[in-house]
Amino acid sequence: MSVTRRTLLTSAAAAALAAQFRIDPAAAQEKVIRFSMPQDFTKIYTFVTSEYNQGQRDYISLVNARGGINGYTIAADVSDHGNDLPRAIEAFERAKSQGAVLVDPLSTPVARALTPRALADKINLITAFSGRSDAADGTVFPYVFPLSPNYWTQIALLVDYFRQQSGDLKGKKICFVHIDTPFGKEPLPVLKRLQEKLGFELSTFPYTPPGNDQSAIWPQVRRARPDWIVFWGAGVGQTVALTEVIRNGLPLNKVSSSVWLSESDMDVVGRSQAAGVLKIEPCASGRAPKLIQEILKEVVEPGKGAGPTEKVGTAYYNYGVMLASLMVEGVRQAFARAPQGPISGEWLNAGLTSITNFDAQGLIPPTTVTKEDHQGGGKARIARWDGAKFVPVTDWFTAYSDVVWEVIRESAAEFQKSGK
Amino acid sequence: MDMSLILELSVNGVFVGLMYALVAAGLVLIYKTSGIANLAQGALAMMGAYVIWAISAQMGAPMWLAIPLGLVVMFGAGILTERLALRRMIGQPVIMVIMLTIGMEIMLRGVLPGIFGAAVKKLDVGIPNDPLFLGDILINRATMVGGLISLGLVALAIVFFNSRLGILMRAVSDDQTASWSVGIRVERAIAIAWGLSAVMATTAGVLWGATQGVDWSLSLLLIKALAIAILGGLDSIPGVLIAGVLVGLAESLATGFLDPIVGGGTRDVVASTIILVTLLLRPHGLFGREHIERV
Repeated sequence: MSVTRRTLLTSAAAAALAAQFRIDPAAAQEKVIRFSMPQDFTKIYTFVTSEYNQGQRDYISLVNARGGINGYTIAADVSDHGNDLPRAIEAFERAKSQGAVLVDPLSTPVARALTPRALADKINLITAFSGRSDAADGTVFPYVFPLSPNYWTQIALLVDYFRQQSGDLKGKKICFVHIDTPFGKEPLPVLKRLQEKLGFELSTFPYTPPGNDQSAIWPQVRRARPDWIVFWGAGVGQTVALTEVIRNGLPLNKVSSSVWLSESDMDVVGRSQAAGVLKIEPCASGRAPKLIQEILKEVVEPGKGAGPTEKVGTAYYNYGVMLASLMVEGVRQAFARAPQGPISGEWLNAGLTSITNFDAQGLIPPTTVTKEDHQGGGKARIARWDGAKFVPVTDWFTAYSDVVWEVIRESAAEFQKSGK
Repeated sequence: MDMSLILELSVNGVFVGLMYALVAAGLVLIYKTSGIANLAQGALAMMGAYVIWAISAQMGAPMWLAIPLGLVVMFGAGILTERLALRRMIGQPVIMVIMLTIGMEIMLRGVLPGIFGAAVKKLDVGIPNDPLFLGDILINRATMVGGLISLGLVALAIVFFNSRLGILMRAVSDDQTASWSVGIRVERAIAIAWGLSAVMATTAGVLWGATQGVDWSLSLLLIKALAIAILGGLDSIPGVLIAGVLVGLAESLATGFLDPIVGGGTRDVVASTIILVTLLLRPHGLFGREHIERV
């Protein structure tokens, strides 16, 4: 290619002009902290993702509208991994290259697949209500954060609630109806240890996924004459289970689920018909909490909401607000420890493991995350569906931490040994 | 295991099997007319349920109006599918047409939840959930009503195939070229089969949707329908009825007997085992015609 005199002169003039502008490194660098949220909007976890993600984005909008944290805004990079591992890994790698300090995939298989990468790349992997239960052990999983009661803690909470109600579980019968997947079987180790400890009788009834036909399971449950029933699934399996409870004439106030029960499930089953059923509540639901009121006033009313207004305050929406508030609190703590950064996964990790007694203005139980405990204390409460909303029937509490942590440490040690 | 539990599982299993049979009947209807196994039958059931939900919940029509309207819409959708997709495949190998139906199944599974939202939808057709006990035996009202409706519709299909139009469609199935040559409008017969099949799938979708809610998982009815159609014989409507009862019974009793022994999950294995064993031992099923070709 030949360079003409005109090109040479034009280029020289442009270079001379450009030299007059001082490039300010601070101005050139965007003051943004990137959270990556590749989640399943289209395949398996669709029953929860849209509401959960809406809550997350609305909370982040609230924080940004108030000027962000320390002059930095939070960028929520949302994408759809469709519960597909190659897509999720691609999203993780993209997030890494874009400088994300945190990834929240909201999927157990995806979280399990990403765990070795997160540990190696020192990017904080959020596994709330999903992923590995043993990730509560921060000494083995320093970059994996459930930030919420894992499935082992949840089942221990339910058993303790049953004990509180029955006085003593010795000789009582608990039926555990679950989807026949690793997620459905998750509570079994803790249930079996509690069975030995408390002397109750345990019967388990697995159903094939996705659980749209459980007609042959529930007659067996009914005939077992249980004192308490736990049903453990997600999506359509939950609504079918609850419908079968009603059809079999089982007392709803003796029936409970994990965190995976929402207002939407009650709409399918019939709001008034489902009255009495119990669930684990990791954070307050409804619009009464102060934080949800603030989101309504400062984000939703000005038209900046991330989704339908009617979903604001649903159980899953509030789970999203809960997790986003914990993530942002991690950022606050990180700035408190290292105001100049550099913004990195390690930097945020120090913040997340310094969250102390944080309650998101009453939305969540007081949560303390340490380098050892990535669950944040494992507190939740039991709530009862009253036909229109979930009403708490206990205060925030945790139960049988000794048993739960025994199982967590055993499983984490196995991961350390075998990498599985 | 006590006798009353066996009886309860059997009664409910029969009703559930009859509900599956309705999806299978649609499969057989198309196979009998055009010689094609429509692997989008599960997705048609899902689509029918979504359409009726949309008419009732989104457009505000009462259920007594939404159901017949939905059936008409789905009849039209069946006819259109034949006109726009299947007719273009004339002359193509059968495997290509089957691939087309798989493509339709996958597309509908993605598109419909995309349009209507992925959350499970309530479809209330007015069947009460209160328990109904006959002595110690609990009858599931929803599956009982569904099973009886299925029984009626499959019986109607048997009558239909003995009517004038039904005989024309059987002729088309036997030999399309010969049917053409005697003046039978082959495309019309196949289009009607698709329309009726979509109506049957929609009825099944509504009955199952009323039981479990409406979401993509309704399309999984295809597996059960295939097991029933293959066991009964792909070209036998009475076979569908008997195979439906057998599959429903086998699934229900396997769940009761085998799940406690092996730790669960036998329900779906039953359908797969039935497909496999039938194809290995009696490829034309219990009541299907054995095709013999001179070579």
